[in-house]
Amino acid sequence: MASSGESDPSFRRVMNGVHTWTGVILGMLLFAIFWTGTLAVFDKEIDQWMMPAIRLQRPVGNVVLDKQRASYAAAVADHAFTWNIVLPNDRLTVVQTLWYGMRGPEYHYDNPETGEELPVVGTLAGSGFLYPFHYSLQLRFLNLGIWLVGLAGMAMMALCVSGVIIHRKIFADFFTFRPQRTSKRAVLDLHNVAGVLGLPFHFVVTLSGLVILYALYFPSGWIPAYGGNLRAFNQEAFGSFARAKANQPGSVASLDAMASEVRRLWPDEKLASVTIYYPGDAAAYVEFNTSSAGQVVNSGNTAVFDAATGALLSRRSKLSSVMTAYRFMFGLHIVQFHHWTLRWLYFVLGLAGCVLIGTGSLFWLESRRRRPAGGGFGFRIVEALTIAGISGIIVATFSFFLVNRLLPAAIPNRASVEVWVFFSVWIASLVHAWLRPSRIAWLEQSWSIAVTALAAVLFNAVTTGDNLARALWHSHLHAIAGMDLLLLLGAAVAIFAARRIASSRVDDGAATPFRG
Amino acid sequence: VAKERTLARVTAHIVLVVVGGYIGASGIVALLSVALPAFAGMARSDAVVLSSMSGFIFYLALFLWGIAYRHSLRLALWLFVLTGACFSLVAVIHRVQV
Repeated sequence: MASSGESDPSFRRVMNGVHTWTGVILGMLLFAIFWTGTLAVFDKEIDQWMMPAIRLQRPVGNVVLDKQRASYAAAVADHAFTWNIVLPNDRLTVVQTLWYGMRGPEYHYDNPETGEELPVVGTLAGSGFLYPFHYSLQLRFLNLGIWLVGLAGMAMMALCVSGVIIHRKIFADFFTFRPQRTSKRAVLDLHNVAGVLGLPFHFVVTLSGLVILYALYFPSGWIPAYGGNLRAFNQEAFGSFARAKANQPGSVASLDAMASEVRRLWPDEKLASVTIYYPGDAAAYVEFNTSSAGQVVNSGNTAVFDAATGALLSRRSKLSSVMTAYRFMFGLHIVQFHHWTLRWLYFVLGLAGCVLIGTGSLFWLESRRRRPAGGGFGFRIVEALTIAGISGIIVATFSFFLVNRLLPAAIPNRASVEVWVFFSVWIASLVHAWLRPSRIAWLEQSWSIAVTALAAVLFNAVTTGDNLARALWHSHLHAIAGMDLLLLLGAAVAIFAARRIASSRVDDGAATPFRG
Repeated sequence: VAKERTLARVTAHIVLVVVGGYIGASGIVALLSVALPAFAGMARSDAVVLSSMSGFIFYLALFLWGIAYRHSLRLALWLFVLTGACFSLVAVIHRVQV
């Protein structure tokens, strides 16, 4: 990479060290975050694939909210703090209800026309597992996962800056890809192309991801200003309504009457979600949010009603400019606006991020291996972690999809079993990478990717009848078709990589998938 | 032995930059959160959100500067002075406002 140059060589050398060692230490954590984040771009579509019961036609007309009472009664019985309905939209054809009960989050899916609960098999799917994994690593203890992701995010920004500094021929490398030269050269070219082309996206997506959780990462902002009262801060910042619980039983007036009041207030807006605070309590209140799907700024209008009487308590349609800037960064990251071209662009650039991180690690391994004292114990650890971190997590993800279609619907703790399979396969891939010579490990894990991906597509068709041809034909099954096509593409890439590794020369006993 | 000592020194420097940089950035965030409403007339919640969002950039800048700064002790001193000054000013502004 950068040799000592003419302009401030020591600074550049330090930045080279920062880039190399940050990448070696946090590269695979970053890969896992980028990989699950990329999948979370299509979390609702993954949900449809993993929950065949919600593959319905989009409803016509407004959803009758008062038909969803059964779910509300269940939330009251479960002593939930809030009860939330997400109404059908571009990416969700059913009504989703959510509450946090005594057994944690409860996701339910109702038929929008009849209000009947749909027989969804136990699964956390995309929005319940892959998406929270992206920002919490499912390590809830002391928010450890969220802090690790924050550290990795800061590291990613440091990698972006140091990468630009050590990179002198940034424009020339834009057009340079030499796959037929040595594997080391090809890997570095790919790293540079992915890095330079995706640089604005990678920097902004990382910064906006961190900014979302500013109150958690920088409590030194609100603590001195609000004397440690987070609720008071949030109330002032978002203009949100709040009042104390009455601890007396209470009822809920007609939600549809409140909804028509919201439509009268803002005739041009579409309803997106409804939340009832303190279900079952006399002080319960109902918050209606309108859709912000047409804009990046993730903030719709809000109207709050008294649950018992249906009287309008508060409404808000504008945020301050600073809060708008925050909700812009928020919306930029979580991609809840409805624009299919942009959504695909996020997906492709997310994959480019995975390529960037993966090739960076491969380049380090290739360079190290050639050193006289390069193949020691520490090297083997990084090598095994890299194999499990790149191909292992992909096998684990595809196994997560596959086991979803293989497990019987009735087994207890079905959702946990799926998650357990994900982590078991991931750990198994690390053990495998440690025990086998690296070239063989890459080869076998590439084949595993291909086999799990093809099997997932096959068993989706067998167990649901929604095969690729049928899914392409019916517009309400396009999410299924997209998922199947991406799995087939993944299998094709894995087979290509496996064949390339298999035919590579075994000169130094090791190879990478990019060997020429 | 010399190599081990270098490794220990480098590790200590990195820990100092990662932890000290975060504390320094937190200090700047705290100061701006109370100073912007006091001196620039910004709404209190806006000041908190703006300064907290900028905190990540402060941290990044402190990290890159600190990692390139050779002298660990002098760096620790600088970060200590920065953080101390920020939180002292926060206390002063609080005192004046009450």
